[in-house]
Amino acid sequence: MMNEKAKAACNIHAVLRNMENLCELDVTSKELIAASNVAIQFSVPEIDKLVLAFRQGACKAMRGDGLSYDMNLRFSSHEHLNLMIEGKKNPIPTKGLRHIPFLKKTFTALADRLSYYLQPDPERLKNDKSYRDASTKMLAYTAFYAIPEIARYDEVGIHIARQIDDGIINIVVGDEFAIQLHSKQGVLETSKGRNPNARALMLFDSMETASGILNGTLDSFGCIGTGALAFRGRITMIDNLNKLLGLVPNYLG
Amino acid sequence: MYIYEKSKALFDRAVKVIPAGIYGHMGPANGCFIPVSAYPFYVERAEGPYFWDVDGNRFIDFLSAYGPNILGYNHPEVDAAAKEQMELCNCVSLPSARMVELAELLVDTVDSADWAMFCKNGTDVTNLAMISARAATGRKKIVKFVGGYHGVMPWMLDIGYPGVLFEDVDNIITIPFNDLDTFRRVLDTYPNEIAGVISTPYDHRAIDASQLPLPDFWKTVRELCTKEGIVLICDDVRCGFRLDLRGSDYYYGFKADLICFCKSIANGYSISALCGSAALKSAVSSVFTTGSYWLSAVPMAAAIKCITLLHEIDGPAILKIKGEKFARAMQTAASDCGFKLNVSGELSMPFLTLEDDDSSFIMQELTGGMVPRGVFISSHHNLFVNCALTDEDFEETYNVARASFEDIRRNHPEMYR
Repeated sequence: MMNEKAKAACNIHAVLRNMENLCELDVTSKELIAASNVAIQFSVPEIDKLVLAFRQGACKAMRGDGLSYDMNLRFSSHEHLNLMIEGKKNPIPTKGLRHIPFLKKTFTALADRLSYYLQPDPERLKNDKSYRDASTKMLAYTAFYAIPEIARYDEVGIHIARQIDDGIINIVVGDEFAIQLHSKQGVLETSKGRNPNARALMLFDSMETASGILNGTLDSFGCIGTGALAFRGRITMIDNLNKLLGLVPNYLG
Repeated sequence: MYIYEKSKALFDRAVKVIPAGIYGHMGPANGCFIPVSAYPFYVERAEGPYFWDVDGNRFIDFLSAYGPNILGYNHPEVDAAAKEQMELCNCVSLPSARMVELAELLVDTVDSADWAMFCKNGTDVTNLAMISARAATGRKKIVKFVGGYHGVMPWMLDIGYPGVLFEDVDNIITIPFNDLDTFRRVLDTYPNEIAGVISTPYDHRAIDASQLPLPDFWKTVRELCTKEGIVLICDDVRCGFRLDLRGSDYYYGFKADLICFCKSIANGYSISALCGSAALKSAVSSVFTTGSYWLSAVPMAAAIKCITLLHEIDGPAILKIKGEKFARAMQTAASDCGFKLNVSGELSMPFLTLEDDDSSFIMQELTGGMVPRGVFISSHHNLFVNCALTDEDFEETYNVARASFEDIRRNHPEMYR
C-alpha cells in the first residue's frame, strides 16, 4: 500500500535526483543548462533535503542538511511535493526569488525532458537505440535509487530490508553500466558502478533486456529462464531486492 | 557437456502461455537454476535414480523430484498397484476402500497417529493442521521457526511476498530454531493465546546450511506445549519416511499432536496425509475441509504399496547408507582438489556448502559444472537421495564432482596460489 511520505522520498531522491543523469545523458538538457549557475534545494518535512546544483553545463545531486544552495523550494507536506511532481501544485520559493525565471523556464523544460525518458514512447524505444539506452539508464537509476527510500519509509519495505544481509548487491547491465546497493542492518544505499566485493549479482545481458523488464514489456521470470536476466551469489539478498523492486511501481508507476 | 536445445525451445513456447514459463520450485527462477545454462528444463522419462531430459541427456537425480522419489522413479511395484487401482476406479463420487486401508496402515506405522486423513499437497495438510489447532484450542496464534517452510498459503509466508498482507501474518510468531529462551519468552508474553507450534523436525531451510535440533530442544518444546495446552505440529512433509517410518518426531524422541506427510508417501503419486492424536480427532472432524481430488483412489493404492515396500526394505536405513556414500563421494572429490565441502542436515537429505564461500559463488560454479555433466544437484536446497541409487552412481558422481572442482581450480588460480 502506497504512503505519501515514501512517495515523496522517492520523488525527491529517485526522480528529481535523476536530473543529474539527465544532464549527463541528454544533449538537449545539457544545452539547456549550459549557462546556468544555480543550486536549488527541495525541502519536504521529515525527509532529507535534496540540492540540485546546475553549474558549468552539469547537474550535481546532493543529499542532506547544511548544503549550500541559491534557491529554496519549500513543500508544506509530502502530498504537496507529490502533487508538484504530477504538475498539480507549485512549490513555495522561500529564498533566491531571483532564480524564479530559471525555475519557470529551464527547470520546467528539464522536467519535460525527464518525463520524455522516464515515460518512454514504446515506438521510439524500438527504433532509436540511443533513446532506448538513455531511457533505460534513467529508469534503472530511478528504480534503484527509489529502493532505499521504500526500505526507509514503506511499512512492507522496512520489513523486507531487515531481511537483507549486510553487503553489496551489484546490478550490472551488459557492459554498459552498473549500480550498487549497499545494505547494512536494514539500511540501504544506492551508488553507481561495479564492485568486485559484491555478495550478490543481478546481471542483465543487455540494455534491451533491462529496458523491457523496467518498462514491463518483458517478464522477468521468463528472462531468468532464457538467461537474459541472471543471478549469482547470495540469493536471499537478490530475492529480497526483487521484493523491493516489486514495490517500486506503487510509488513510481 | 550436455546441451539443452529442445528444453530451451520448449521454454520459449512456455513463456508465451504460462506465467514464468515454469513456475514454482521446479522452475529456473524459484528453483534457483544458477547458472541457468547448466540446467535442463523439461524431462522426457525417468527410471530408478535417473531422468532423461527432452534432449536425451541422462541425469543421476539427487533432487529426487524434491523428495517424492524415495524408491526410484517408475517403481514397478508401486506403478503396478496404481495401475491395478486405475482399472477399478480413481476419482468417483465416493471414496474407495483404499482410503480406509491406507489410514489403517498409517495408524499402524506412524507412532503418533491415531487417525489419518488425506489431501494432495504439503500445503493442504500444514494448513489443515493450523486450522485444526485453532479449532481445538479456540486460540489464534501460531508459532513457527525462522527459515521453516510450510507451504505457500499467505500465513506460511512472510511480509514482502507479493499478495501477503500484514493481516495474513498478524497471528504468526516467528522465532529462531533451537532457541528455547525465546520460545519460553513468547509463551510468557502470550499466555492462553497460542494455538499451535509448527516446525519441521530439523531446520532444513533453503540457502543456508541445515541445523539439527539441540539435544533437549524437542523434549522441552513438547513439555512446554503440553503444559500450556498448545498443539505441537510436526511438518514432516520433507523428512517423512526418510528418517524413520514411525515419523520424524519419533526419530527425534518426541510425540507430535499432529504430523503432516506428503513427499515420500506414495513415490510420486499425488497425496498427502495429516495424522494425529486421538485427543484432536474430534476437533479435526469439525473443520470443514475437502478437495476435488483428495479422495482419489489411485494415489492411495500407490501409497499403500510404497509404505509397505519401505517397511520391507527398511527404507530409512537404506537412505542413510546411500546418503553416507553420496557425502563421501562429494567430500572426497572436494578434498582431492583442495576444497572443503560440508554436508549438513540428515544424510538422506544432505545440504552442501563449501568452506570460505559464504555467498555461494563457488557452490554455484560447482552445480554449473556437475549438472551439464549429468549429476543433477542444487546449490540452494537440500538434496534427496533415493533407494535406487547404486555404487556405480556414486562413483560417477565422484568423477563428475572431481572434474567440476578441477574446473573451478583452473578458473580461480588466485585462490590456490
